[in-house]
Amino acid sequence: MRRHLLRLGKLWLCLGLGLGLGLNGCAGTAKLLDFPFDTGGRSLNSPGAEIQPHLVDRYLVFVSDRRGSQDIFLFDALERRLIDLPGLNSLDTLASHPAISENGNYIVYQATRQGKSSIYLYDRQLFQVRNLTENLGVYVRHPTISANGEVIAFEAAINGAWHISLVDPSGKPLDLPTLPR
Amino acid sequence: MSPAIVVMKRLLLPSLGAVLVGLGGLLGACDQNPPAPSSINSRYTDEQPALSGNGQFVAFVSSRNGISQVLLYDLKARQFTPLPGLNSTMTIAQNPSLSRNARYVAYLAGNQGKPDLFIYDRVTQRSEVLTSGYRHVIRSPSLSPDGRYLVFETDRRGQWDIEVIDRGAAIELDKPEG
Repeated sequence: MRRHLLRLGKLWLCLGLGLGLGLNGCAGTAKLLDFPFDTGGRSLNSPGAEIQPHLVDRYLVFVSDRRGSQDIFLFDALERRLIDLPGLNSLDTLASHPAISENGNYIVYQATRQGKSSIYLYDRQLFQVRNLTENLGVYVRHPTISANGEVIAFEAAINGAWHISLVDPSGKPLDLPTLPR
Repeated sequence: MSPAIVVMKRLLLPSLGAVLVGLGGLLGACDQNPPAPSSINSRYTDEQPALSGNGQFVAFVSSRNGISQVLLYDLKARQFTPLPGLNSTMTIAQNPSLSRNARYVAYLAGNQGKPDLFIYDRVTQRSEVLTSGYRHVIRSPSLSPDGRYLVFETDRRGQWDIEVIDRGAAIELDKPEG
């Protein structure tokens, strides 16, 4: 992928120098890559808002309101196109904070359905969504998944403050020392 | 529980808490990370978790030491891993993101109103700014597992869009086996 990105990078407009990037010490080679902007909403950036990106190798998941509702999108940086996520975005949910595993199979995200916030795991092979926090009974947000797909972390409101929760892809809490609740 | 014990608890526990907070403040002022307690969570806010690609480390923002700090917890060793030089009393570091083996920690920090994107290398124990001179607002950075690419939100077009930074072919990648 690196070679591909490099090759593509030559085609992309390098804005780095113009914006004053890459002139600072060790960061001398850092530059901005110009990913496509498409008014039709078929690419990474659109006339709508694109927020909360999570990058793992070729996969870039993010949230956009380009279709009029807040949905999760998956962009393939190698082939420079969007990948369909059938069954993920539904009309009655407001989705946010997606994260993807490096094999592209798992996407975790927070969604609010009927006023209740949960952490969901989308399986891209089975096109199925599973609620990982159904029985937790607390407010949850900001999920993420490790690139190897083995650990999921999110915030849970416990005793009046945000705390870190860690579970495996089945939703089972990791065996870790915790404060007494 | 006898009244004497209740009184002792009421008097002693808050003062113990104050001493701990004070110690935390001192440590923060010395730009050190806290000693390794075994528990990830504290009585204070612990938020914005990020996982290393190998699933071994979780980085997050904690206010347990009286200031907002980025902490790194090793899930295998069940203890905190120090990040010497990352947290400064002059700025608030936020939104951490980790590479595959947590060699690199990307985060937002800034003391002139507008946060910049930084990357901390646990090998050199130094941070460098990646967006000095970038005039637009930056939010929600995410680092690729190899540590080379970063994505973030920008208001460059007057709306939130996603920008990608390439740190270049010259950096040492955070590869699967060390």
